[in-house]
Amino acid sequence: MPVTSVNPQTWWTIFRISLEERLVYRADFALGTLMRFIPIVTQVLLWQAIFEALKGDDVAGYQYNDIVAYYLLVLIGRAFSSMPNLSEGIAQQIRDGQIKKFLIQPIDLIGFLLITRVAHKIVYYGIAIGPFALVFYLCRGFFSGWPDTVTLAGYATSLVLAFLLGFFLEAFIGLIGFWFLEVSSLLFVYMLINYFLSGHMFPLAMLPEPWASIAQAIPLQYLAYFPTQVFLGKIQGEMLTWGLTIQLAWVICFAILCRIAMHYGVRRYSAFGG
Amino acid sequence: MSESPPSYTRVLAVLARNSFVRDMNFRGNFLIEVITAMFWMTMMVSFYLLIFQFANEIGEDTGWTKYRFFIFLATTMIINGLMQAFVLPNAAEFSELIRLGNLDFALVKPIDTQFLISFQRVNWSGYANIGCGIALMIYSLIHLSHVPSWLEMSLFVVYVTCGLGILYSLVICLASTSVWMGRNQSLYNFWFYITTFSRYPMEIYRGPLGDPLRLIFTFMIPIMIAINVPAQVMAKGLGEAESKLAVFGLFATMACLAISRWIFGLAISAYRSASS
Amino acid sequence: MAIIEINGLSKTYSVYHKREGIAASIRGLFHRQYRSVHAVRQIDLQVDEGEFVAFLGPNGAGKTTTLKLLSGVIHPTEGTASVMGYVPWQRQTGYRRQFALVMGQKNQLWWDLPAQESFRLHQQIYQIERAAFEKTLDELVELLNLQGLLGQPVRELSLGERMKMELVAALLHSPKVLFLDEPTIGLDVVAQHNVQGFLRHYQQQRNITIMLTSHYMKDVVALCRRVVIITEGRIMYDGSLSGIIDQFGGHKLLTLQFSDEAPVDLKNFGKLVEVQSPRAKLRVDRSSVANVLGQILSKYNLVDVSVEEPPLEEVIAEVFASVNGMHEAELNKQQVLRNAGD
Repeated sequence: MPVTSVNPQTWWTIFRISLEERLVYRADFALGTLMRFIPIVTQVLLWQAIFEALKGDDVAGYQYNDIVAYYLLVLIGRAFSSMPNLSEGIAQQIRDGQIKKFLIQPIDLIGFLLITRVAHKIVYYGIAIGPFALVFYLCRGFFSGWPDTVTLAGYATSLVLAFLLGFFLEAFIGLIGFWFLEVSSLLFVYMLINYFLSGHMFPLAMLPEPWASIAQAIPLQYLAYFPTQVFLGKIQGEMLTWGLTIQLAWVICFAILCRIAMHYGVRRYSAFGG
Repeated sequence: MSESPPSYTRVLAVLARNSFVRDMNFRGNFLIEVITAMFWMTMMVSFYLLIFQFANEIGEDTGWTKYRFFIFLATTMIINGLMQAFVLPNAAEFSELIRLGNLDFALVKPIDTQFLISFQRVNWSGYANIGCGIALMIYSLIHLSHVPSWLEMSLFVVYVTCGLGILYSLVICLASTSVWMGRNQSLYNFWFYITTFSRYPMEIYRGPLGDPLRLIFTFMIPIMIAINVPAQVMAKGLGEAESKLAVFGLFATMACLAISRWIFGLAISAYRSASS
Repeated sequence: MAIIEINGLSKTYSVYHKREGIAASIRGLFHRQYRSVHAVRQIDLQVDEGEFVAFLGPNGAGKTTTLKLLSGVIHPTEGTASVMGYVPWQRQTGYRRQFALVMGQKNQLWWDLPAQESFRLHQQIYQIERAAFEKTLDELVELLNLQGLLGQPVRELSLGERMKMELVAALLHSPKVLFLDEPTIGLDVVAQHNVQGFLRHYQQQRNITIMLTSHYMKDVVALCRRVVIITEGRIMYDGSLSGIIDQFGGHKLLTLQFSDEAPVDLKNFGKLVEVQSPRAKLRVDRSSVANVLGQILSKYNLVDVSVEEPPLEEVIAEVFASVNGMHEAELNKQQVLRNAGD
């Protein structure tokens, strides 16, 4: 297995090249960011209709305003934890043999991907912050003021952890490509489950038992639901510390799983001559 | 060799047949498509089951109660499946042909270029979604103890076709933009996001945000008609308001098709004067 | 009678000029620079029915662009053209029925299907009657030795077989005019030879008009009596193959077999190409061949002598090179003029 013995210069170069690569798709960028808000609009309208029919009742502790705030915050969580093309990219490289490059050169594949991903995300945030700020400003009425500093710090931590968890989780799925060449269908199913159980589609608190407990037990909720709950002040004090610890544990767990998959995958790859 | 124009139905038959033969080469994908389609359906249905735990209908006095709403959902799946089968693969192929400068062979054929481009491929695995949609529709109709009349069924077919026509027009216009915008990965995202508006009953579009959206996506880019009209036909029958919308739907479809043809023509001539 | 007539045809493209670096890509978000490329400039050409014309030229000379213009795939910037009485870029159905385009680097057959399925599609698109279709197909399969391959998916065919299938697809509707763009590109020698043989036979038998671009001289030598050389969008030469040497081959090759050692002062007579004593090869200006030969004969004992034309490839390479040279000279001249103006 290649050792991460590369100097900072190399990492900086990789970082810079990925930045440039991202900036080239100009029309894509502007459109892509704007369009992210479209589904929110329909979801908000859908809930508006539902709450109208309810006449003042809440749904699993959520009022209409909370639901809107929830969906907006989930978008931020997703902006950190979603990794477009990561798994497909890895599986593709395994399939067409490009991965050999990383087995020969003294560069660690996972480290390389992490750095490029950070670069991509930074460019994305740089451009997306405008539309995001605008939408949140327009929708400020749905929020009940800024949370306190501890909550904000907890929120920021949970977002960084959500990014890392998203990265290692999807990288791991991509690495399964060492064993199954066709990962795309597996990935599709994963995306669907993720969409449902990360809290992207609705607040997980609405789930009945036993589904609620299952959703709590698996790591997907830390990709979007958990950070959002933190921001909304629904998780505080000891619960917050505990939650962040579990989130960190999941990150470490998937980072290790990636290492293991890489190790055995490469061995299998060389054994079969790729 | 005769001078008459080619028989478009025969060409279509050969294209569909060729696509079928090709898809049969990848039988594994077929199974996967079926599984994912069922998965998708299960998730959508579960989500709305969850909502119907708390509410009796979607929106006050809209009539979209549980099983009627499932008919709406089923219509969405059927139309999505048809789009996947007939329209989306061709649109994707079209923008690839433009991007790689491979449109030449299509242009030299003595047949309408838009026809050839639009129907070149049929992705038979789209049928998984259609099948799931039909199953859900039958299940919901049984729960409503409603047996649709022949008129309702034929209107449903007519309006599903219109819906396809409208959505097809939008997709072909989007794909045409590849001529000017080059590599255009947002195309599919855009398609997905914009059609989000069509996937909910139009009654939910109310208020200062909803009203303009409803008007825009009914009268300017009439994608709301695509699913709403056939779903209404099946779930609620056509009242006075719905009938007006249905008549408008026919005209909207014609207009969309005409506009898509115009934009397709623009794209082709831009391609022909641009670099290969 | 001219079946293809081209007058003053020009095609100019605008090309996006991409620059490197972060700053430049950010600027590229707002502002793009374009530059014009003159792919074809003021071409005049007449081709008679039944001719087999080769377009020769270096990469980017405008060969393919010309074929695309004649196929109606692209619009010209200026000029007129008529093929069989049609204006190609009007894309009338009547025109599109009567010609075919084959491109060596692109394929039109369905990749995952046997070629016969694509042929059946062509049958419908071109409205070929069943009997005629089957007869033509049998003939073509026979001529190209494709028996037994029709049922195999195209992706499993070799490059040569695939190219032959492309030819079949293009000829099913018996076009009167055929445009071939690099039909032998990437093929091995045997496959090249087969394709050439087929094209020659088919063209003679049917007396169709073919325009071919290639950068393999062998294609041209084997197939075409008429050659058009294009460089930088302009026609440099239009005539027979041997005419190229007459016009551009400024020298001949003398091969001298001496009875003794080859003399050392040979280089005074011309440019020495190789010496393998007692044999020597000498490059001599066309005008002084007789003179040089006379002097050598009077000075040395020769066993054998031959006077040869230089190889065609070499002559054509020189033509291309001279054009580049001229181009540079012209640029330099402009530079000088501009400097003088400052």
